[in-house]
Amino acid sequence: MMDNFKKKFIEEATEHIQDIEQALLELEQNPTDKPLIERVFRAMHSLKGSGAMFGFEKISEFTHNLETAYDLVRSGEMEITNELLNLTLASVDHLGSLLKYDTDLPELVMEQHLSLIKQIAELVHGNNSKPVPVIEIVEDIPINVNQKTYYILFQPHEDIMNNGTNPLFLIDELYSLGSCIAIPIIKKIPALDEFDPNKCYTTWELFLATESDINSVTDIFIFVEDECDLHVTLISEFNLIDNIQFVEKLEEIRKNQQEIGLAQLQDFIATLSTPETKQVKKGKDEKVVQASKDQTISSIRVASDKLDQLMNLVSELVTTQARLSLYADNDGRPELMAIAENVQKLSRQLRDNAFSIVLIPIENMLTRFQRLIRDLSKELKKDVVFEAEGTDTELDKTIIENLTDPLMHILRNSLDHGIELPEVRVSKGKPAQGKILLKAFYSGANVIIQIFDDGAGIDTSFIRTKAIQKALISPDAALTKKEILDLIFIPGFSTATNITDVSGRGVGMDVVKRKISDIRGEVEVESEINIGTTLTIKLPLTLSIIDGLLIKIEDIHVVLPLTVIDKIYAVEHYKLMKAFNNTIVLEGEQIPFFYMRHELELEIDESITHDQIIVVRYEDKRIGLAVDNVIGEYQAVLKPLGKHYRKQEIISGTTILGDGTIALVMDTNKAIKHFAYKSLITEDSK
Amino acid sequence: MKKNATKINSYLTFKLGDEIFGANVSKVLNILEMTRITKVPKSPPYMKGVINLRGSVLPLIDTKVKFDMGETVYTPNTCILVLDIDINGDPVHVGALVDSVQEVIEIDEAQIMPPPTIGSRYKSEFIEGMAKINSEFIMLLNMDMIFSTSELSLLRDSSGELEVEEEKE
Repeated sequence: MMDNFKKKFIEEATEHIQDIEQALLELEQNPTDKPLIERVFRAMHSLKGSGAMFGFEKISEFTHNLETAYDLVRSGEMEITNELLNLTLASVDHLGSLLKYDTDLPELVMEQHLSLIKQIAELVHGNNSKPVPVIEIVEDIPINVNQKTYYILFQPHEDIMNNGTNPLFLIDELYSLGSCIAIPIIKKIPALDEFDPNKCYTTWELFLATESDINSVTDIFIFVEDECDLHVTLISEFNLIDNIQFVEKLEEIRKNQQEIGLAQLQDFIATLSTPETKQVKKGKDEKVVQASKDQTISSIRVASDKLDQLMNLVSELVTTQARLSLYADNDGRPELMAIAENVQKLSRQLRDNAFSIVLIPIENMLTRFQRLIRDLSKELKKDVVFEAEGTDTELDKTIIENLTDPLMHILRNSLDHGIELPEVRVSKGKPAQGKILLKAFYSGANVIIQIFDDGAGIDTSFIRTKAIQKALISPDAALTKKEILDLIFIPGFSTATNITDVSGRGVGMDVVKRKISDIRGEVEVESEINIGTTLTIKLPLTLSIIDGLLIKIEDIHVVLPLTVIDKIYAVEHYKLMKAFNNTIVLEGEQIPFFYMRHELELEIDESITHDQIIVVRYEDKRIGLAVDNVIGEYQAVLKPLGKHYRKQEIISGTTILGDGTIALVMDTNKAIKHFAYKSLITEDSK
Repeated sequence: MKKNATKINSYLTFKLGDEIFGANVSKVLNILEMTRITKVPKSPPYMKGVINLRGSVLPLIDTKVKFDMGETVYTPNTCILVLDIDINGDPVHVGALVDSVQEVIEIDEAQIMPPPTIGSRYKSEFIEGMAKINSEFIMLLNMDMIFSTSELSLLRDSSGELEVEEEKE
């Protein structure tokens, strides 16, 4: 049990140490930045607190010294100097090794430990006008007349001890701030047979006289904020605990009614012999506590495997919900159907929420790109500026991970083949400095990433010649400009005449295209000679669940992604069978269609009277897919088809329906391309 | 994987038609009764489809098609062996249709004879060895090889050369 807590502490402490380090480095650039100093101080304070709580005495003690120094910085009594930063950074490194060794320090580390403590002490003394004899231990600070008295009502929740918090330690810590009186309220403790030793039934009323401010008092409870109710109120600008009258009164109230309460006290304090005693503006001080709470929960760090697990659970939930809906529909009880509908709504919301958690902005990739362009343009003696727009666009983290390599390749290509040398650019009347722009934005359920360069553009006649040379197309093939440009994505096509270090090693755009289709993305290219090239990558927002349309072909359930579907029509079967050239007129528009049973090599059932034509968008065309039945909308949790089906291109995955049957998820783009290619071949052979 | 196979000497025997085959038990995770199969269109004939194995999707192979014995005809004895095989170092689960499952037997390494090089119908790389149990010959199969290859059939052709691979890796 304890080991577990220690592990948790070490994890937490490492984060604090990293945080301090990072903040220090930023402080070096910006030594007067108040929020940064606060951040350092806060992290140190947390480290000290949790160190003491988990028995890492050395760390707690050492951090306390650092904290003292930064408290002075915080209050403006000391300035951030290089000396201080160097010393703190060394100390931060030392904290790391303290964490490693826990209690038994090797001699070398111990030496450093002492020397660092000494150095910090010297620095603090040099700046501090008040001589502080022993700085490590708070209790030894001479009692000052500036002490104030706080009333603290500390009501731990029953389960506060579940995560290893000992409320008594917290109270001990309060005692270390100054003089303190703790009065336990034990009336909630149940009879022995109902008593659960793992629960905390006690509430404490504490009176603390200290020179620290209200923040340092609430900071002690920082780790248990959510596990207790805490009210800290300043009741006097003086030390009441030294006041005998006050202590007697406390004793008296306690004898009478066990609980003291604030209202009674304030009346009493007002009558106390110290006339200057001011009543507190309660509202204001409690607000401070609230504000610090908001700040701490604004963001949290979570291990990514926990997120993966969350996503898996959400997927399971969506599958189970589908079963519930199916059962409720069959059962027909209205109440059950209402519940099922509610569960469906909730799981959809939960799904969207969970997805938004794993989204990260594409900004995370940019540093690598900037670095690449900086280094490469130097190497190639080109002058290039890289700009990025829409860097806050978010994508699933798996997509980002898989996107970095293809994007690097595209950028390399733009630099190597696209942007010309400065003198060439000038002779063409363009500015000497080339520009590469990365633009990201949302478009429906997709994210579009575009990469523009204002370079030489792609010479279509050159590509054509090359493709004929490599026997990729026949010399008399009539191709549109777009079709010619698309040739660069064919395996083995690389236009680089000189194979450079940078690009053109035979692996080219075909790899980029494959990698992008692995994450269900698409890539397109547009280019104008001497104006530039644009690559457009279209990506799905997420990989694991899609909104789909469930259809049936023979006894096979198929899910089509809802995003590509335009319209659904019911058409008489005989019309499709005798349609000329596989086109049909729907709402006055000629639409080419594929008869799915025919394309999937299934038997054609002539007894069917009607087929459903699903019109989907394919590139910039509309294509019909004729299927037997449309069942309805379906949230499909994608599961892979397995390695044995890796040749299967038109099916991108599977999903399990509510009744346990498996539905195939079809990639309509690949399917249509496949069908079209096949019909082309059969026409040729005729 | 290989190590495991030599350590465990237990074999699960099953029938395809009238012939008895053995698979090392370390490769067999589960034996299932016939269940609903979802066809996957446009796949090789030995790929029967996919089944739902407790929420995950399991590809199913018709073992008899692989052994060129014609398609499996479903009977009450038809079973699915859930196999844990190794494709280029990755563990992959796959289902294999068999006519019936017999028993688990211990076969000493000494009892295992090398596969016949001449006269066998099957390519030798798919056979780990032969064993004679109760006067019956059992062919011990190399499950990793059989279920990871995309070759259409495991038969030698008459010239003794390997069959033309339908799909190349």
